[in-house]
Amino acid sequence: MMRRRTLFAALPALAAPLATHPAAAQQRVTLNVMTAGDQNMVDYITDYLGPMFERQNPGVSVRAVGTGAGDSGSQRIWERLEAQRRAGATAVDVDVAVVHQSMAGRMVAEKLLSRYRADISTGALTTAAVASNALGQDVDGYVMPMFNSQVAIAYNPDRVTEVPQTFAALEAWAKAHPKRFGYNGIRGGMAGVGFVFGWTYAFGPDQRLLLEGPFNAEAVRALTPALQRLKAFNANAVITPGNAGTLDALNRGEIDMGPVWMDMFYTWQAEGRLNPSMRLVLPESGLPGQPMYYVIPDKAAHAAAARKFIELATSPQVQADGIVKRFNWLPGIDAQHVRQNLDQATWNRLFRDIGPEQLAQGARPMPQAEFFKAIQEAYERVVLN
Amino acid sequence: MPFLLVAPSLLLVGAFFLFPLLLSVQGAFMGADGPTLAHFRTAFGLYRNDMLVTLLITGCATALIGAGSIAIGGYLTLGGSRRARAVLAWLYRWPLFIPFIVAGQSMRGFLGQNGLMNSALVGAGMPEMWAQSFLDWRGIVITFVWKQLPFATLLIAGAMAAMDRAQIEAAQNLGAGRLRVLLGVVLPQVSRNITVALILSFVTMMGVLSVPLMISGQSPSMLTIPMAWRINSLGDYATANALGVLACLMTGMVAWVWLRQAAAEKAK
Repeated sequence: MMRRRTLFAALPALAAPLATHPAAAQQRVTLNVMTAGDQNMVDYITDYLGPMFERQNPGVSVRAVGTGAGDSGSQRIWERLEAQRRAGATAVDVDVAVVHQSMAGRMVAEKLLSRYRADISTGALTTAAVASNALGQDVDGYVMPMFNSQVAIAYNPDRVTEVPQTFAALEAWAKAHPKRFGYNGIRGGMAGVGFVFGWTYAFGPDQRLLLEGPFNAEAVRALTPALQRLKAFNANAVITPGNAGTLDALNRGEIDMGPVWMDMFYTWQAEGRLNPSMRLVLPESGLPGQPMYYVIPDKAAHAAAARKFIELATSPQVQADGIVKRFNWLPGIDAQHVRQNLDQATWNRLFRDIGPEQLAQGARPMPQAEFFKAIQEAYERVVLN
Repeated sequence: MPFLLVAPSLLLVGAFFLFPLLLSVQGAFMGADGPTLAHFRTAFGLYRNDMLVTLLITGCATALIGAGSIAIGGYLTLGGSRRARAVLAWLYRWPLFIPFIVAGQSMRGFLGQNGLMNSALVGAGMPEMWAQSFLDWRGIVITFVWKQLPFATLLIAGAMAAMDRAQIEAAQNLGAGRLRVLLGVVLPQVSRNITVALILSFVTMMGVLSVPLMISGQSPSMLTIPMAWRINSLGDYATANALGVLACLMTGMVAWVWLRQAAAEKAK
């Protein structure tokens, strides 16, 4: 037993001279990329981005770890970083993390991230508001959007002849066509949550306050009439089991309209899982979208390689081939930088129903972090009880 | 020495079940400023309808499982056609091997407004306007019954098969019909097995998240949905813990019935 302990104790000493040798050090670099989100996020890094980075950087291997869908996936990354900080670690074992907005804001506020955007060549390619503000928290310099996804209303043009362009028109349409509008409530995925936020943006007294804060409970109470209106709307709506459930119900002809993620909509159509005649519309008062961010933890063990990795991931070519063509996401960097790398057919597909101008007009961020939670609770209190 | 033998399993149960359970219970009563009932107030304030619906769904499903498993077990014990008995005995076990999530997924395609069931009924002549979606609490009940019926039947039919057939034959010789034999002779002797089968089914169904998640996004729904939602979307473990304590109380009431019955039998 003692002998084994001695051997383990000796290992770092044996490794130290090797680490100081540049070639050997390069040999051993494993870039740990931890990503929240669905399995497709891990696949994207494992099958596409990782191998490309490894080809360009011999000696570096990329290891992708998925932490699960939704905000809870980002929460697990935060827990890991926080645990290592509490343990007083001098270097953390996460080099690049892909996180949602709410957790990015918290990580910046708690000084868990490094401010790297000015140090990468692609840092200037994004001018979107979400690159500097995450649900009310200033994250300027700390994040690079990987992609943007946007909630929009999908509809069946064979059944919906006058497409509602506003929430009021949508409300009237649902009343005239009971049980033909479907959404997934707030417990079944973010498309439904986004629709509820869009409703409060449209019918609440102050959209700007919800988006930018500061939070106050009175503003949440002021949403009660809008939520009561939503309760009446729900009586004419179908509640679907999830983001995919809405698309599924639309495809089966069980509903004629419902909010969906644009990327999911186009992907389903490309894969032949959704009737190609279905279309999208973005109401005037707007629906929210959200990016996912590349971040580098403070004290990341391989910070330089991490910056290089994000540089590649946010380069126009990768954004065009990986983000837009492969996943039908909206690019994380500004669209004009991506356009030159996209063929016209792909560009047209991405903006077929909702053009860049409409997107600029109707795309909204999610509400400020505290409103984000409070509106969902208010929905439970007013609409579900 | 005997204590040493059970120590590893006791340790495992203590470390991986009892300790986390106690932490969860404690979390339900702890606020930022010490002990509080605020989480239970939130749980009751927002999810009381979900609690009632949970009891309604599991209660209905348990009753239907009881009726179905007694009917199948009864036919397997008393049925006249040997071939029908063999086919039934072979058929009823199938759903036992299907996971809840797969059952939920299958039922989603089957029970939807334009699903297989309605398509078949419309094809058979039912007016199309009668076709309605069962993807709500009824769909959850149907899925639970379909999935748990074989389990309950396995226990109940097994107990019925183990009975002394002389009593059944004696009753039949005295002129009792099959229903009379089932109700008057068989059921009283397997009532304990029926209770056990139904309690285990009830407790299992109470904890299923996948089926309500797959079948119905409607609210109110089963308690597992808001529990998962509080944790995954709001990071609110405290209210989820409070909901967990309430779910434990619901299953505890049922377990108490079982324990009372077991104690009464032991006293005999």
